[in-house]
Amino acid sequence: MSEGSHQISWARVAIGLLTTLVTAAMLYFLDTPYKEVPALGRLLDPFNGFWANAEPVNGSFNQTLRFPSLKGSASLYFDERMVPHIYADNDHDIYFMEGYVHACFRLWQMDMETRAAAGRVSEVVGSKALNYDHNQRRKGMVYAAENSLKAMEAEPRTKTMLDAYTEGINTYIGQLTSRSLPLEYKLMGFKPEPWTNIKSALLMKYMADDLTGECWDIPLTYLKQSLPPAIFSLLYPEKEPGSSPVIPAGTHFDSASLSTPPVPNDSALVTFTSKDFGEAREDAKGSNNWALSGNKTQSGAAILCNDPHLGLNLPALWFEVQLHSPDMNVYGASLPGAPGVIIGFTDSISWGFTNNYRDVKDYYLIKRVAGTSDKYWMNGMQRTMTPRVERIAIKGKADFLDTVYYTVHGPVTYDERHPAAGGIRKPLAMCWMGHRGSNELLGIYLMNRAKSYAGFVDGIFHFECPAQNMVYADRQGNIALWGQGQFIDKWQGQGRFVMNGADTAALWAKKIPMRENPHVFNPAQGYVASANQSVTDSAYPYWYNGDFRELRAWRINDRLSQLQKATVKDMFDLQNDTYSILASQVLPYMLKHVPASLDSADARYISKLRKWNYQLSATSTSASLFQIWWYYLDGDIWEQLGKVPDALHPADERTMRLIATTDSEIAVIPQLKDFHRLVQQSFRKAMDSLHIASRRGREWYQVKNTSLTHLAKLAAFSYDTLKIGGWGNVVNAAKTDHGPSWRMVVQMGQEIEAYGIYPGGQSGNPGSKYYSTFIKDWAAGKYYRLLFIPFNSKPSASQTLFTWTAQPQRS
Amino acid sequence: MRFLLSVILIAALAATGEWFLPWWTFAVAAFVVSIFTRMRAGIAFLSGFIAVGGLWLGIMLWRDAANQHILSARMAALLRAASYSEIIIITALLGGLIGGLAAMSGALVSGKSKWA
Repeated sequence: MSEGSHQISWARVAIGLLTTLVTAAMLYFLDTPYKEVPALGRLLDPFNGFWANAEPVNGSFNQTLRFPSLKGSASLYFDERMVPHIYADNDHDIYFMEGYVHACFRLWQMDMETRAAAGRVSEVVGSKALNYDHNQRRKGMVYAAENSLKAMEAEPRTKTMLDAYTEGINTYIGQLTSRSLPLEYKLMGFKPEPWTNIKSALLMKYMADDLTGECWDIPLTYLKQSLPPAIFSLLYPEKEPGSSPVIPAGTHFDSASLSTPPVPNDSALVTFTSKDFGEAREDAKGSNNWALSGNKTQSGAAILCNDPHLGLNLPALWFEVQLHSPDMNVYGASLPGAPGVIIGFTDSISWGFTNNYRDVKDYYLIKRVAGTSDKYWMNGMQRTMTPRVERIAIKGKADFLDTVYYTVHGPVTYDERHPAAGGIRKPLAMCWMGHRGSNELLGIYLMNRAKSYAGFVDGIFHFECPAQNMVYADRQGNIALWGQGQFIDKWQGQGRFVMNGADTAALWAKKIPMRENPHVFNPAQGYVASANQSVTDSAYPYWYNGDFRELRAWRINDRLSQLQKATVKDMFDLQNDTYSILASQVLPYMLKHVPASLDSADARYISKLRKWNYQLSATSTSASLFQIWWYYLDGDIWEQLGKVPDALHPADERTMRLIATTDSEIAVIPQLKDFHRLVQQSFRKAMDSLHIASRRGREWYQVKNTSLTHLAKLAAFSYDTLKIGGWGNVVNAAKTDHGPSWRMVVQMGQEIEAYGIYPGGQSGNPGSKYYSTFIKDWAAGKYYRLLFIPFNSKPSASQTLFTWTAQPQRS
Repeated sequence: MRFLLSVILIAALAATGEWFLPWWTFAVAAFVVSIFTRMRAGIAFLSGFIAVGGLWLGIMLWRDAANQHILSARMAALLRAASYSEIIIITALLGGLIGGLAAMSGALVSGKSKWA
């Protein structure tokens, strides 16, 4: 390095300036996101990019925390599965810490789910989510959350709960730097905004919408009109005959305190003519729960089981937690984004939920006053709608504005500017129980502290929407089941079809008192069970309809009625049961009609199918063939209903029973007259698609492809082709993207013996070893023994992996 | 000697800068240090390349080892890279390239530098 020249070479400086410019340009390019691609320099930077989210596998997670707003001190003990056992001295501190922990493990997920509820996804992903957001706004999701928030904040206990929870989340958000930001924020290029109580309310409405969203009023209205009445009631009965109802048949019901309103004349209903419907029926969200009384179990203690079937995603919907405070000791599945434990058990009682499916969402055809946009007719009088301007921010584009008009029924969800699925452009207003202000959180608050059946019932009476079948078991050996929610005293048929919004006779009338909801306590049969089937037999004095499913309930009731001296192992087996009643009933008919001449490969399949045990087990190829064959057969049969209502096929259990009539003389269903040809045709299609499927494998789990998809739909953070059997209509309801989201078995003995598992892991960070911890075991049907620390004791050192201590003062 | 000093200075300043300031401060560090070390342009490039590339490589290897490749493997799948090693190598080369260019630019604009 010679120092030869002390002269400045301007040429070199000029070149230097040029390379400086080139370097700066490169940096600018790497610091700028382009469409879906994040700013690569920021992302790849080893200091602050994704590498900062790579959690050391053997790192210590112990922390000493100082939170000035704490009232006392709090301790968190993480067990070997990273489940926090949170100890605090008062309500404020326990929910503060729960909020802090939820945010620490699942912040991005909470953010996205509440955005999804509120219709604010476009703000972070751009216009591809606009349709979705628009629909959320039209459904009145924010309006619904605002109404419930008022109710929750008017109650001192839930106000404290929400305020403290929000404070905990915001304390965590306040500590974040661009380096410690959860990975998905770095990938999507946005930052968390402060949490507010309305976000928790939104999340609860998100669940309510998820569980009461299905609504067949519109296609049923068309079908009722287009099919002969006898056929319509055969295909779409109000209730499937022979149901094993949620509340056992024969249960005594007190007579109704409200009289059933008389069925109004036809003007209360509307008719649709030829419209194009696109809604497809599927067995969506179902769930199972049951409880055995002590005289049905080997231990003599009651056993409670629950597996709610919900969307399968990563991070998982649930987060396990134990909350311990002077008046509470509860363990179970919590919902990141909402305080408390949703499904679980205390030292005294245990509870679980399945979706109740009574119809609490109805549509009204609005008759606008001609020439106006905000006036409508009601019994010959003009009324004014309340406009609500919805502003949807779209990343990289101008905001989208829409005015949603609220009628006495609810928001006009569909109209010419936002047609209903299937293309109905008439103004339809939605009347939904979820729009009403209710305080389910108080229900959670009370259940989490319940010490007896009375305490449990106290809690569930605050649970208005979504209606749930709430199963109960306690350490005294009591069991109970409630079809719980807020329901309306309806006239027969009310809300099953689209109603005339201009007729006051169609309005929702009085609320049914909670204590008159169907329930049973310690029934003679020694068990209770619900799996989304009809809620009661015909003895129940109020009329209701709903989207009920019977197949799983038949199987569960069949098994439970036979079981004696049941053990937790028997419960595991039942939750993982894959026996298909549908297959056992329809396959013999299908096999009668297979083509006489088959090539040798097809003949091999058929001979295997003849010996099949009707189990939809993971590795069965017969299960694959049956499921595909049934899919085509069902489609081919009901396709003949015509192009229009193709959408709403009769339920599988209905079709199954109708097929059983094809052998007799009474095959009155025109679509089944040609059964022989349809079976052959669908068999051909099934074999063809099985051959195509063979590239991925022909075993049932390979064909159905149960997947846990990351909420941002990133394949690299998702898991697919999980080796698990089952389907929506068998007890182990693992479908492609829905399934048992939390399996729990609790034996309420002297010592509570609890087991559980969910598909995912405690951490929502794809860079954590706790991101996917439970997935394999969940697919394999395994369970973890849950570490439940009894009241007033603490986990031992050997049970504790990490400890957090939180103090209010600065030391 | 000056070369080694330059590498150490750039690496130290880049690490400190990146910890507290935006990620691209490493380039500023390489640029500024090279104004003062007045090395030939090619040598300056090499010092910046080694300092930043080495620093980035070290941080990545350390974090990846502690993480047992959980995240790097997922990111490799996400970015359609063949493996986590590919991500690490390309990132280190990218950091080295920009660090080198910044250092060379610094050396050149100082006006005292020879070409090589």
